[in-house]
Amino acid sequence: MMRQKNISIYISRAVISIILVITCAQVSAQSYKKIKKVQEKDSTALFRGFSVSADLVGPLMLKLSDYGQYEAALKINLKDKYFPTIEIGYGKADHQEATGINYKTSAPYFRVGCDFNILKNKHDTNVLYAGFRYAYTSYKDDINHPDFKDPVWGYNVRYEVTGNSCYYHWLEAVIGVDAKIIGPLHLGWSVRYKYRLASDEGAIDKSWYVPGFGISNSSRLGGTFNVIIDI
Amino acid sequence: MRKIVFVIFASLLLCACSTIDCPLLNTVYTVYNIYNSNGKADTLKDTLTIFSRRVNGTDSVFINQDVNIKTFSLPISYSAPADTLYFNIKDTLKKNYIDTVVVMKENTPHFESVDCNPSYFHKITGVKWTKNRIDSITIKNSTVNYDATKEHFHIYFKSGN
Repeated sequence: MMRQKNISIYISRAVISIILVITCAQVSAQSYKKIKKVQEKDSTALFRGFSVSADLVGPLMLKLSDYGQYEAALKINLKDKYFPTIEIGYGKADHQEATGINYKTSAPYFRVGCDFNILKNKHDTNVLYAGFRYAYTSYKDDINHPDFKDPVWGYNVRYEVTGNSCYYHWLEAVIGVDAKIIGPLHLGWSVRYKYRLASDEGAIDKSWYVPGFGISNSSRLGGTFNVIIDI
Repeated sequence: MRKIVFVIFASLLLCACSTIDCPLLNTVYTVYNIYNSNGKADTLKDTLTIFSRRVNGTDSVFINQDVNIKTFSLPISYSAPADTLYFNIKDTLKKNYIDTVVVMKENTPHFESVDCNPSYFHKITGVKWTKNRIDSITIKNSTVNYDATKEHFHIYFKSGN
């Protein structure tokens, strides 16, 4: 009886000791990892330069259709991770439709936002980024139609809207690529999802084209193709 | 990476499509509801014809010898400052009455899309009438647009034979 009691006490002490040893071993392993991590801290400078770019899609649209924009951007590189961006552009449209309606507008616009490098290796020469923009434009549009006859009374009807003042606020979600070609020259493209925040489309309550946003709608997709120069 | 690029371009292609929501008819109408002197909806038992004069002098008939009507819709001109309408009412004894109604309005060009024909919306600013068979006309809703469910006028006829 006495012997059985001694054996069970011995087993309990052994189990407790083993548990304590395992616990201590894990704690020291984690401390080692933490020390190792601290030693690998990024030493890259905060300001890594900036770049300027111009979009090629907008001028191509103006060439091939009757609306489009000229756009340039300034992007600041922070630690190869964060890229605060300002984009400024000038959009215009002079569209004649088969219905006889002519729509004309032109105005500047701007966007501000930030892109984030989503590649694992942040210091690669090429960048895959995702980001956002806030955008705003204030513009005036002119809409007119050749004179036509009232279908019931036969009067001559003049349809003309001139200098209709409007504004548009919208958000963009951006995903894009920046690839180094040679020296400071990069090429890149981006795809954007645009979402209208608020707008006032004047007395007629509708716009067809909004500078910087595109064909008026509550949301739409767009894209850019950029020539980028590192400064 | 190739799959991501394919998905992005497929999405761009889909979103390049757009829908056009033009109304079927780009004219708007004024709605008249008939009421009696107690303010309750009523039915006009007499024969009603409503017409207007076109700019070339010919008549344009909107309602042609309709009977037992409770409500009717009339077109409104795009850009004239006032429309003149002629109400020809023939009672059960075949006696004819003609009343003239003048609707004064402000006209605003309306724009849906470059794909839609031009149209106008209106704000009724006043109404005048002769009192041969029409007792009175009141404006209930001065805005005239594509919403055809709203009544614009209450019209009260004098009791006839």
